[in-house]
Amino acid sequence: MELTVDKRWDLIDKISKQTVKFKKYKSTLKEVIGELTVKPLTGIPIAIAVLYGFWSVFSSFAGFFTDGFLVKLFDEHWLPWIQGAFPGGLHNWFYNLMVDVGHIQNGALVPSNSCFESFGALTSGLFVPFGVVLPAIFIFYLMMAVLEDVGYLPRLAVLVDTVLHKIGLHGYAIVPTILGFGCNVPAVTATRILETRKQRFLMMTLLGIFIPCGAQLGIMQEVIPEYMGLIILYLLFGYFVTGFILNKVFPGKTPEILIDVPPYQKPLTRNVMTKVWVRLSGFLKIAVPFVILGCLIVGVMYLTGTMDWLANLFGPIFTHWFGVPKETVGPLVAAFMRKDLAVAQLSAIEMTKYQMVTSVVLVSIYFPCLATFAMILKEGGKELLGALAVLVASTFIYGGLIHLIWILLGVA
Amino acid sequence: MKVLLMGHPNVGKSVLFNRLTGTNVTVSNYPGTTVDYTKGYMRLENKEVEVIDVPGTFSLEPKDKAEEVAVKMLKENRDAVVVCIIDSTKVERGLYLTLQIIEEGYPVVISSNMWDVAKDKNIQIDVEKLEQILGVPVVPTIAISGEGIKELVSKIKKAKSVEIETIVKKVGGET
Repeated sequence: MELTVDKRWDLIDKISKQTVKFKKYKSTLKEVIGELTVKPLTGIPIAIAVLYGFWSVFSSFAGFFTDGFLVKLFDEHWLPWIQGAFPGGLHNWFYNLMVDVGHIQNGALVPSNSCFESFGALTSGLFVPFGVVLPAIFIFYLMMAVLEDVGYLPRLAVLVDTVLHKIGLHGYAIVPTILGFGCNVPAVTATRILETRKQRFLMMTLLGIFIPCGAQLGIMQEVIPEYMGLIILYLLFGYFVTGFILNKVFPGKTPEILIDVPPYQKPLTRNVMTKVWVRLSGFLKIAVPFVILGCLIVGVMYLTGTMDWLANLFGPIFTHWFGVPKETVGPLVAAFMRKDLAVAQLSAIEMTKYQMVTSVVLVSIYFPCLATFAMILKEGGKELLGALAVLVASTFIYGGLIHLIWILLGVA
Repeated sequence: MKVLLMGHPNVGKSVLFNRLTGTNVTVSNYPGTTVDYTKGYMRLENKEVEVIDVPGTFSLEPKDKAEEVAVKMLKENRDAVVVCIIDSTKVERGLYLTLQIIEEGYPVVISSNMWDVAKDKNIQIDVEKLEQILGVPVVPTIAISGEGIKELVSKIKKAKSVEIETIVKKVGGET
């Protein structure tokens, strides 16, 4: 037999009266901190401090390992060694693919002197994931695991609720968003906690387009640390503006946020460690083969002239609409596979810093990486077409807009 | 026999799952970490028993995708024993889902989890009385530290289905 809702609550009331007693108690320190982090007056400054702290640790840790050790290891030892040891030379296609494509200097083809330029599967293909991205995402995942386990995310959700309602979401959308800065793939799965189809569609679209992942942040930290803040601000601007518009255009409801704010907890070392390990091993298993495969595909496209053909085909759009060199087409092809690889590739193209900012923005928004795309396909199904339309429109609008900003500032 | 772990979001189902099966499912301190089910195995009296970590749900009327998965798992496993995990600081709310599952006819064991937090808040739960009223085993647990897990495992065999009318009569009410 089943009870009605009222009868059930009535029964529960009777049961709990006979079995549960709430006695007086003093607020614990945890609860006081809990209150402080959720009330706007104190919570917002604390949130800013937490995120800023996250950022500082991330950039200094990643920089320390990558610049201090790994760049030297790869550029001064590994690259010269393999350039000498690998059979063939700059005029052998297999050598080009595996070790070094070389570059033209004073009309002559010369060997590369850094792993950012060589673009071989055994040089850049290993340097990007192991030398740059791995230390960055290690510290990123570690801090994120701590934030997750402490119980901070639901409090952040409460704080940003009002703002996110303006873009058709509610506070809890901050959880997939923050997870997205780690990796977009689990973030897309996490949209299941949003109630309506509209919310899920909005969230997946915004994630796929505007949220750069940990691997991309890691490589940006290495090649263009000085513009990173600017790029992220621009992407967040796009996230809100696009969300605002989509919210007006698409039908559907955004219910009120209903979540439990859990008590703070001391993170368990073992749990944090396993979580970091699970995510890192996911990166090693999926991302590393993709980076290497990406190197090979891009290499083959250069060698066969496909890339030049593409560059000439899309050249006018690149130079006129986006204001970036037509060679940017190469990194954009690589970005289908991996965003980190694409940014690494951009760093080897000669351009002004403004063009660099524009092209990194383009790489970020123009297409989610394959793994994310597959996950959106699985989770979103037919909404994917809508998301793709928004994607194409966003690429042209935000890519053009930033070019316009540079023109207005007189620097383009 | 199958064992389903069910309860509200963020009451510690996945932590308990890891404890029972020795696996490493991702757990976090926010509601909605588990959005899909995970299967694992535990030993129960020298037999391998399948345990399923079900996404959190507030009731059997799903309101998002993760809850849909939860309700679907319950309906698909008619022969399962359900371990209802409730937050000891919010017994009433936890009982709502528990009663719904009891009404559906599933044998149930209750894990009154986060027992330490309830203690901190000076909430006193009369476990024996609760067991007597509901007619199912109730075990205080602290999944994070592992307290009460052994007892919970020993009680899984004693789970049984109860008629809701019996419970109503015991508290002296009418249906």
